[in-house]
Amino acid sequence: MRAYELMKETFSRKIYIYIVHLSWFAIYGLFFTLRVHEEKDFHQILFIWGGFFLPLALSAGIFGDDISSGRICVVATKPFWLGELYIYRLLGLSLQAAVHFVITGFLLLIIHRFTGLGYIDDLGAWLFSCWLLFNTWAAISTSLSVVVKRAYNFIFLLAVFLFLASLNSILSWNNPDDAMTKVINAFGKYVCPPFTLLTKMVEGEYSKYSLIVGKYSSIKAVACVTHTFVLTVFYSFFGVLLLSRRQFTCSRE
Amino acid sequence: MVVECEQLKKVYRKLLAGRSKDVCALQGISLSVAKGQIVGLIGPNGAGKSTLLNLMGGLIFPTEGNVSICGHPARSIEARRGLGYMPEHPAFLGRYSAWATLRYHGALLGLPRQAISAQIDKLTEQLQMDEYIDRPCSDFSQGMKQRLALAIALMNDPRFLLLDEPSNGLDPIGIIQLRDLLKKLRDAGTAIVISSHRLGELEKLTSDYIFLYRGEVVSFGEKIAAGQIGRLRVELASNANQIAKKLLPPSKLLSSSETELVIAVGDDNEVPDIVSSLVKGGARITGVLLQREDIEDIEDVFLRLYNERN
Repeated sequence: MRAYELMKETFSRKIYIYIVHLSWFAIYGLFFTLRVHEEKDFHQILFIWGGFFLPLALSAGIFGDDISSGRICVVATKPFWLGELYIYRLLGLSLQAAVHFVITGFLLLIIHRFTGLGYIDDLGAWLFSCWLLFNTWAAISTSLSVVVKRAYNFIFLLAVFLFLASLNSILSWNNPDDAMTKVINAFGKYVCPPFTLLTKMVEGEYSKYSLIVGKYSSIKAVACVTHTFVLTVFYSFFGVLLLSRRQFTCSRE
Repeated sequence: MVVECEQLKKVYRKLLAGRSKDVCALQGISLSVAKGQIVGLIGPNGAGKSTLLNLMGGLIFPTEGNVSICGHPARSIEARRGLGYMPEHPAFLGRYSAWATLRYHGALLGLPRQAISAQIDKLTEQLQMDEYIDRPCSDFSQGMKQRLALAIALMNDPRFLLLDEPSNGLDPIGIIQLRDLLKKLRDAGTAIVISSHRLGELEKLTSDYIFLYRGEVVSFGEKIAAGQIGRLRVELASNANQIAKKLLPPSKLLSSSETELVIAVGDDNEVPDIVSSLVKGGARITGVLLQREDIEDIEDVFLRLYNERN
C-alpha cells in the first residue's frame, strides 16, 4: 500500500507530469515523421530526449517541491525508513518511463504501419537503452533533488551536463591525446550515465569482438546493462544516504 | 513520561560561514511531558519554539543533548509510530482530494486498507469535513487545510501530538470543536504540545505551559488553571493519592499527598460535585477548604516574563 502510494505519487503529483509525457510523444512523432534525417539521427534523438531530458523533466522537484513547501515535514514524521521514500519514488519514475517507452514504441509502429514514414529497425533495442539511461539520470536527478529546493535539480544538472560536454568537446578537438582529455573522457565513460556504451551496444558495434546474438554482442550487452544498473544503484545509494541524514525545517518559502 | 528532553541544544550553522555567524536556537533545554498532559509552548518570535517542535518531531538533529519519545530516540521509527504532527503551514498535493490525502498518509503509516477507510470515516465525521472530503486540496481555505492537517496528525491515534498554531484560520465553531477534541484526546491519555501565539485559546486548553525566550526555558511547569477561581483543599483520612488518580483528571489536580488533595476549581458549583464524587469513590473526607485566589491569566504571565527580560 505504501509502495503503491509513493510510486503513484510520482505520476499524479502535478498536472505538469501529464504535459511532459504528451509533449515528449509529440516530439518523437515529429522527428519520426520528418524525412530530413537519416535512420541513425532519429534513434539518437529518441535516445537523448527519452534517456536524458525525460528523466530530468519528470524528476524536477521530486523532493525539492516537498522540501520548499514544508510537506516533507509531515511525511518525515511517519514511521518508516526514509530510504523507502527515495526508493519507491525512483521506482515510480522508472515504471512511468517503462510505460512511456512502451507507448512510444506502439505509437511509432502505428504511424509507420499506416503512413510508411520513419524507421522501426532496432526500435525495441533503442527504447530499452533509453529506459536504462533514464534510470541512471533519474537516480542522479532524484538524489540532487534531496539537497536542492524546488525544481532546481533539473536546471543544475542540465547546466553541469552542458558544461562538461562542451569542455570535453573542446579538449578532444584541440588536444585529443592530452592526459586531461583522457581523464575527462574516462569520467564521461565510466562515472557519467553511459551514453557512449549504450549507443555502441545498440548499434551493434561490440559484435565485432565477441559472441553475438543477432547483431549484438551478448557479453558486451550484459556488461553494458550491468554497468548502467550499477551506476543507478550507486547514485541511488547517495540519495538514500542524503535523505536519511537530512534535516527538515517546516518554514514555507 | 511520553516525551523527555535532556540538555537540548541546537545551533544552526551557515554553510561556508564562520562560527561567528552561528545561531544558537536552543541553549540546553530539559523538560518532560507526561501522558494526558497538554503543554502550551509560548514565547516571542525567534524564541526557539519551532526548533523545539522540530526536534521533538525528529525533523532536525540536536547539536547536543537528546530527545526521547516513549523511551525511543526522536528520529527512530518506534518514536514516530506514536507521533502525530501538525505543522504551522500545512501543505498538500493540490491535485489530491482530502480523502486521497488521508489515504496517502494512512498508507505511509502502514495501516491496512480497511483500517485506513475506517479511520478516514471517523475523522471526517469528528472534524466535520464531509462537505469537502472529495474536493481537491488546491481549492481549500486555510481553515479546511488546518482541519485536514489535524486529521492527518490523528490518523494513527497518536500517543504524542505536536501542534504548531493549530487554530490558525479556523472559524469560531472550528476553534471550539478543536478545543473539545483536544480535551477528549487529553482525557484519553494523549500527551499534547501546542505552540501558539493565541494565548487566550491556549489558556482555555491547558494549565501547563513552557515560556521560551532566546532559546532558554524561562518558566516551566507553572500551573495556570483555565478559568480557575481558587484551590479546593480536601483533607482525607488516607489513600488520597490513589483516590485522586482514580477520580480526578490530571489537569484538575494541582498537588496531592497521602492525606490531602489540592484541586483547581473553576466555578463555585463545582465544589459539591467534586466532594460528592470523592465520597462516592470511597474517600473519607475530614475537612474541606476553598481558597479563592487572584490568579494572573496566561497573557499576564507572558507579559510579566517578557518584560522581566527586556
